[in-house]
Amino acid sequence: MSTRVDPILLDEIKDYGAINPEACFNCGNCTAICPLTTDDHPFPRSTIRQLQMGLRDQLLESADPWMCYYCGDCTRTCPKGAEPAETMMAARRWLTAQYDGSGLGAKLYTSERAVFRLVARYVVLTLVAFIVYHALTGFDRIVTDRVELNTFAPVMLVWAFVLVHFAFLGFRLGKNTLNMANRVMRSTSEQVKIPLSVYVSEFKAFVTHFVTQKRWRDCNDVDHSRWLKHLLLVSGYVTMLVLIVPLLWWFQTDNIYPVYHPQRWLGYYATIVLLFASVEILIGRYRRREELHRFSHPTDWLFPTFILVSSVTGILVHIFRYAGWAWPTYIMYVVHLMAVLAMLDTEVGIGKWTHMIYRPLAMYLDAVKKRARQEKSAPELAPAGTD
Amino acid sequence: MTVKNVHVDVLVVGGGIAGMQSALDLADQGYRVALVEKEPSIGGKMIMLSKVFPTLDCCSCITTPKMSAVAHHDNIELLTYCDVQAIGDRPGGGFVIDVVQKPRYVDIDTCTGCRQCEYVCPIDLPSQFDRELGAVRAIRVPFSTAVPQKAFLDIDNCILCGKCQQACPVEAIDFAQQPETFTVEAGAIILATGFELTPAGAKAEYGAGELLNVVDALVMERLLAPTGPYGHVLRPSDGKEPDSIAYVQCAGSRDKTLGVEYCSRVCCMYAIKQAMLLSGALPLADITIYYMDIRTFGKGHEQFYQNAKAMGIEFVKGKVARITEDEDKNPVVRVELIEDGSKVVERAHDLVVLSVGMLPGYNPKSLYGVPVADDGFAAIPAPNIRPSVTPKPGIFVTGAAAGPMDIVDSIVLAGAAAAEAAAYLEEVRTPSPQRAAIEEAVHA
Repeated sequence: MSTRVDPILLDEIKDYGAINPEACFNCGNCTAICPLTTDDHPFPRSTIRQLQMGLRDQLLESADPWMCYYCGDCTRTCPKGAEPAETMMAARRWLTAQYDGSGLGAKLYTSERAVFRLVARYVVLTLVAFIVYHALTGFDRIVTDRVELNTFAPVMLVWAFVLVHFAFLGFRLGKNTLNMANRVMRSTSEQVKIPLSVYVSEFKAFVTHFVTQKRWRDCNDVDHSRWLKHLLLVSGYVTMLVLIVPLLWWFQTDNIYPVYHPQRWLGYYATIVLLFASVEILIGRYRRREELHRFSHPTDWLFPTFILVSSVTGILVHIFRYAGWAWPTYIMYVVHLMAVLAMLDTEVGIGKWTHMIYRPLAMYLDAVKKRARQEKSAPELAPAGTD
Repeated sequence: MTVKNVHVDVLVVGGGIAGMQSALDLADQGYRVALVEKEPSIGGKMIMLSKVFPTLDCCSCITTPKMSAVAHHDNIELLTYCDVQAIGDRPGGGFVIDVVQKPRYVDIDTCTGCRQCEYVCPIDLPSQFDRELGAVRAIRVPFSTAVPQKAFLDIDNCILCGKCQQACPVEAIDFAQQPETFTVEAGAIILATGFELTPAGAKAEYGAGELLNVVDALVMERLLAPTGPYGHVLRPSDGKEPDSIAYVQCAGSRDKTLGVEYCSRVCCMYAIKQAMLLSGALPLADITIYYMDIRTFGKGHEQFYQNAKAMGIEFVKGKVARITEDEDKNPVVRVELIEDGSKVVERAHDLVVLSVGMLPGYNPKSLYGVPVADDGFAAIPAPNIRPSVTPKPGIFVTGAAAGPMDIVDSIVLAGAAAAEAAAYLEEVRTPSPQRAAIEEAVHA
């Protein structure tokens, strides 16, 4: 197999936030200090080497960047100050953009103006949608003496739109995920056909890593506080996702429930967790005390900011509704919708959001490859298809 | 006591190999030189070493004749155990230097170096000369080949028992000695203030100086030296002869996290040299050198490296990321085997030697008005054409005060500094227009 050398790859990755990758002289300190590296995945050095050598195809087929959790030990001890951890981060951004065939991901990562344009588009579109809807149904039908959110924005209509939007997002996410899986599996040097049964039996790896992000615990972060905060964030995010996608018909209501009703406490839990975690992340990025927060690409600010704005506006809708303030509720609802739509469309499948799929996928595919290798090298020990 | 006002042509500050060589080069040409040294003996770091690379000559055998030559030269005034306190400009050119003679509590003129005082002294202290591997007395001749071969008393650790005073056959011990200040007038100054080593605790990943069997290379020099503390290579934790010894290169140089980005230039060669000497001292031991690059740029250095490889010393490319300890106090190094499938391994050795770097030992800015460069060593405005000339007219620099360098380069630069100082003195006496132009170009 021939290898093509691409001299502009290094500059390209620097557009995605790599700080000083050319300073690396391949001493191997980063790989040796890394608590996550394995014999099959000697990153960060291998990844930096691919960048320096311009091995675009190899980098595209590498899952290594997704196995790095930015413990920061490599960057802290790098004798050249080559910032290996941030280079791994930049490689993840670059890969996310590459898996997305449309080019939109690349644009959002390399142009802040593109991000603003897209956000502005959703602000305007949401506004227009509401104006058109109420122009058609008559502005006088908006109830203002009490809160009737479901008259202002009928839940079934909103839900239908959400489902259509999620079908679109799901398609984009699925396409890009498949793209990653194809590339990563292409790098299997054995060139063997991996039986479907291996894919099925190892799927538990995807589920485990998706739910727990347990690999992060292997960082030398003694109290696991970073991992715990992130786990909390994920739990809140997933709760909110469930409330909004399959359960919106139940979640968006004009009923006033007692405080122990699940509609209220599930919402409270998710909102409080999202508020806490996003503020904590933003403060961390502002202070730059931890290794993983020393450098912040615009897209690193974007995702937690979206979460923060969505949670604040969401909780305000709730407060205004319980206070019985009609217009504040409606206006906040429109703003909330703007934020959520903009977040989903700039993030799902093309932005930082997608790491929640790509990371467990990398671990899963690695487990599949490992299993396939084992079965190939010792078929008599583990005969497939027998008990 | 020989304390008096001294008039010389050149004051050399520092009695290591560079300072001694500059002093000798000037004195041999007829210039009067004063050599001031803060320690009770001259010899510097070099006298502590075992052998020199790449010739494997015995280090004492090269250094001690120089030390003697300095001490006995008619044109050299040797001022040991002295500190430079202040510097002023002499009217009409040159410098007036205030020097403090620290009290030895031993009359240097009557002391014969018989060491009777040392034998009766009841105080045992860790020997700094032997890197704390051996012991010395509170009153002592600094080390066996010290020059001058005279005793001095470490008053901070003395209990004033008076035994030395009773034992001294020439009544040289004087507890009432006080510091004495005198002046040296000189036309030029040569700084030969040397270097310090990376401190043992510098790198947390390497055990921060807490691991007993992780030593620095100067400790290994003492273990290998004929004048060393044990006469054997023994590891510190249990006195066992090590069967497996590892060198960790760049353990103090080329490392931004330590604030030292430069290469110390000697560590590759001294590690290879020590590995060779260890192969002789412990023929069955496995010796491994973990390195980022091997830099063997001097005359005969590359051949020396190739010989070491041929001798069976293992060279492993990879920066050691971490050193820990197993239950037997064996140091365990963690490293990526870059040339062996990029595997990350943890290997236990009996003894690990850190190839520590050379750090600036002294900042001449406040006293001498000589600024330092980014690396902390003396600033040299024209390193390519006048490598021993500082921005301050009349003050020159040599040896590791100018930057990391080995013994050969120190000697070369010492000659250069002596020549520059001599030229400067002649210039002050009979100025020439060509020289003025050069001078202007350098100091511009």
